[in-house]
Amino acid sequence: MTAEERFRQKKAHLPTREEIEEYEDVMERFPREPQRAKLWTPLFTLGVAIIAVGAIITLVRFIFGLGAVTNLSDGFPWGLWITFDVVIGIALASGGYTTAALIYVFNDARFSPLIRPAITTAMLGYAMAAFGVVVDVGRWWQIYNPLLPDNWHGGSALFEVSICVMAYLTVLVIEYLPTLTDRWIQSGKPVAARRAMNIRRWLDKVMILFILTGIVISTLHQSSLGSIMLLAPHRLHPLWFSPWLPAFFLLSSIAVGWHVVIVESFISSKSFGRKIEMPLLAGLAKRTIIFLGLYVMVKFYDLIFYDEFHLLFQSWYGLLWFAEVALFGIVPGWLLATPWIRRDPRMLYWTSWMVIIGLMLSRANVFLFAFSATPGWSYFPSIGEILVSAMMVSIIMVGYKLFANYFPVLMREEKLQPAK
Amino acid sequence: MAIRRRDFLKFTGAAAGSCLLAPQLLANPSAGMDSFDDDWGMLNDETVCTGCKTCQYVCKKRAGFEAAGDLPMYDNPRDLNSRNHTIVKMYRDDVKKEHSYVKKQCMHCNEPACVSACPVRALIKNPDGPVMYDAGKCIGCRYCMVACPYNVPTFEYESATPEIRKCDLCYDELAQGKPTVCSQVCPTGAIITGRRKDLIKEAWRRIEAKPDQYVHHVYGEHEVGGSAVLYLAGVDFDKIGFKDLQEAPLPALPESIQHGIFKYFVTPLALFGMLAVTRGSTMKCDPVSDEDCIEE
Repeated sequence: MTAEERFRQKKAHLPTREEIEEYEDVMERFPREPQRAKLWTPLFTLGVAIIAVGAIITLVRFIFGLGAVTNLSDGFPWGLWITFDVVIGIALASGGYTTAALIYVFNDARFSPLIRPAITTAMLGYAMAAFGVVVDVGRWWQIYNPLLPDNWHGGSALFEVSICVMAYLTVLVIEYLPTLTDRWIQSGKPVAARRAMNIRRWLDKVMILFILTGIVISTLHQSSLGSIMLLAPHRLHPLWFSPWLPAFFLLSSIAVGWHVVIVESFISSKSFGRKIEMPLLAGLAKRTIIFLGLYVMVKFYDLIFYDEFHLLFQSWYGLLWFAEVALFGIVPGWLLATPWIRRDPRMLYWTSWMVIIGLMLSRANVFLFAFSATPGWSYFPSIGEILVSAMMVSIIMVGYKLFANYFPVLMREEKLQPAK
Repeated sequence: MAIRRRDFLKFTGAAAGSCLLAPQLLANPSAGMDSFDDDWGMLNDETVCTGCKTCQYVCKKRAGFEAAGDLPMYDNPRDLNSRNHTIVKMYRDDVKKEHSYVKKQCMHCNEPACVSACPVRALIKNPDGPVMYDAGKCIGCRYCMVACPYNVPTFEYESATPEIRKCDLCYDELAQGKPTVCSQVCPTGAIITGRRKDLIKEAWRRIEAKPDQYVHHVYGEHEVGGSAVLYLAGVDFDKIGFKDLQEAPLPALPESIQHGIFKYFVTPLALFGMLAVTRGSTMKCDPVSDEDCIEE
């Protein structure tokens, strides 16, 4: 083959001029760009410092075992890491699939500016949840075992969760690829740009399958996280134990996802000195009211249906239950239903935080507070456990800043709709 | 960006292919054992136990650990742990003038919650009765410890390569036709090894023979679907650490939900179809090819 022929063959794989124009056109209508802001702000430095401390503790855990770092015991086998890093982390990362559903299933393209931030957050969140599992499980070097068909146990909710989390993390990385290709399409280097464009063309063809699959996988494992405790009615306080736990978990994951997107948008707007994406965020918040309301209703109906209403007034657990339903439902639902509140950036920001804290409480109730230790045992997280969890949060924050800074994640400001 | 028919068919094909794997996925590790009558088990008669802890000592030795020091009484663990797969505890009430020892170990449930919990089948119910552990499969998630209603599985928190540890009903001794080591050494015959149905018969024979000496309940006969290890006691069972548990096996509820959702992958496929149909029906225009699509 002569050099000439090789060149022609190579050229045949490159997109035509029209196709390039088509993509440039799309890029122009969804113009996302790297922020290229100052990296080492005080908060960023603090985040990196926490990561460094957490990394050392993680290393100690891997060398000397879980007992060296955690307060876990035979009487209380799951603590802060499973509750916060994994169960809460996965719920908070649900903004990825709910935003994808809004844009690609319900075809509301107005929310397009929010998809890449949501996918980026979800990807980082799931990566840290998966990392949290690796840190928490004792025999982490065998973590791939759920993938081997001989070991499959479909009756175990945790099996389903582990498979789905691995699958969904893969889907999230695939959903993230266009952000990477766009960076090279925008790079101005012709060869790199054309290659990236080829990949992007192929990705666009198959992406919707991954998006829909991602939504299916998400609904399955978000609910299965709730099924985990169905095996332990003897451990969980009756106010929380219910055959409907999977439904509670699914519903609350849908309700909380957009509030994480909202808070993350506020923080990144402040961090990069951008305009707040206000009408979009108010629109997202409005759509969560129905899910918050449903959650409160089914929580009350659960107690009535199983005749456990009187338990609310018998111990401090009743107060915890009310706190959960108030923070994750009644109060934010009522606030968001008031138009001026959800359109006011400051009010919206704090209401979203309330929902997020309410979600954390609802998960911690099931996995920590209302979960009874073996008689004679108790649990309170160690400093090491708290610092490793802080590391997970810091990795997500630092990672988000890096991605938004160097990859086209955020929409160019003038393309955002003006605030009403 | 709409789903092309061919792509959709391809995906559906892949999903249908994975359905063929479903029988393996759904197989219950403790299925195929309708009757537990002939399972090996133990009967612990706490009215006969003198609290000598010889069972505790030999069990620890069999597991490969030495009872530390010359005075094992002083480092008696307060609960089962990764070095002690059986322990003898004491209950005493000076007011009521009653006391009892209680030997704890794995109950070897007929339909164990730990086996249902394990995502990788590292715990299985042996057809002979013992609930067995395979460290080669275990990922150390400790869900078995959360699920066990008797708080039996323990974990080597101090090790960098930890394992779940618990009583294995001396399956190797049973295979040689010998009783479990704890029942071999028990000087008063408080622990006997036998087939489950024979043990139940013997338990009720003892209760009927000395009705005022026993609580009229064979613990483990019906609790969470029954277990291979059974207990007789002279004091109320809740006083010696036995909870009042439901009769239905614990895996019944979660497994029915899991199997219901994943039967032939109907739910995931239906959900996928619903999403695709919703997408098709709410799509007014294609934002990629249509310039005006996103101008609202």
